[in-house]
Amino acid sequence: MVTAVLQRFASDGPSVHVSPAGVFDIGGFTITNSILYGWISALIIIALMIYIAHRVTVKPQGGIIQFFEAGIEFISNLVENAFEDKKVGRKYVPYFVTIFFFILLNNWLGLLPFVGEGFHRGENPLLRPFTGDLNATFAIGLFTMVLVYTASVRESGGLRKYLRHFFVGSPFNPLYFVIGLLEMFTDLTRVMSLSLRLFLNVTIGEIVIAVFAYLGSVAAPLTALPFTLIELFIGALQAYIFTVLATMYLAIAVNHSQDHSHSDALTEGEVPETMGVSSPQGARG
Amino acid sequence: MAITFAEAVNTAIIGKGLMIGGGFIGPAIGIGLIGGNYLQAVGRNPEAAKFLGQALIFVAIVELFGLLAFASIFIVK
Repeated sequence: MVTAVLQRFASDGPSVHVSPAGVFDIGGFTITNSILYGWISALIIIALMIYIAHRVTVKPQGGIIQFFEAGIEFISNLVENAFEDKKVGRKYVPYFVTIFFFILLNNWLGLLPFVGEGFHRGENPLLRPFTGDLNATFAIGLFTMVLVYTASVRESGGLRKYLRHFFVGSPFNPLYFVIGLLEMFTDLTRVMSLSLRLFLNVTIGEIVIAVFAYLGSVAAPLTALPFTLIELFIGALQAYIFTVLATMYLAIAVNHSQDHSHSDALTEGEVPETMGVSSPQGARG
Repeated sequence: MAITFAEAVNTAIIGKGLMIGGGFIGPAIGIGLIGGNYLQAVGRNPEAAKFLGQALIFVAIVELFGLLAFASIFIVK
């Protein structure tokens, strides 16, 4: 047994797969291990949500239903308070609640022991956490930002008015024109920053857990436990941050266009207004 | 036949170590400043405790730069 432990320390170190690997092919499409687990967890989430939707009542109940009720109320309050007009915010609550629970449950389902390095099929793991794959988080980020842009254009009342809010002053002033173009370019990086933040947090969590499970050797469950608990917290935090940032991107565009709806044509003499970041929680004062 | 420094030492590992170490200093300072200032604000005015969510958002924004430094070690061969 001692030699077995020593051999473990003498080996090359823990093996962590950062990129997804193909598991099988369907008609020319390679199905990777992360999308396989993504389908499984999507089915779990759909079944759980249908069960909760049937069981929820006016009189509060305990257990898992209460947890989901509290989460939905928390996110819907957050989305509504981010907008100046609460009726506008209420329209977008279903999407943000969905994306919050999708990311949260995917992060938590990815921490189960059989996901990752547990089961192997050949050299590669059979299942990988869905949010630990850049393709998956990029899809989520792209979908969210496309919705945000479409909704911003619609709420601003036309593409011209939407583009107008990038320019703090008159667009014919060369300085404001260049700043406006830079603002537009910065806007496009939001897809990458949303998806990279989620992907890297989940992947680093996987790596840290694998390293400490390897260092623990025979006592691997004991050494990996604290980091798994930290990852539970980080998974919830990242789902919250993804939702809040997407809400704020939408709320900034919508609130800003509502401010200017009465005075659309700013003259050069006016003091340029700074892009105010509306606070999701501090709206009540 | 003389052996150059780059042949004798695996410079990629040194580069990766410097990248991780240097890249994590900034976010560590930043998160420390955010947390310290949040606690200072709460100590001065306990009403400010409700802004924890906003403080965490800024932690996430700062953290991204450390994560980018981590991601770039996979590029170095």
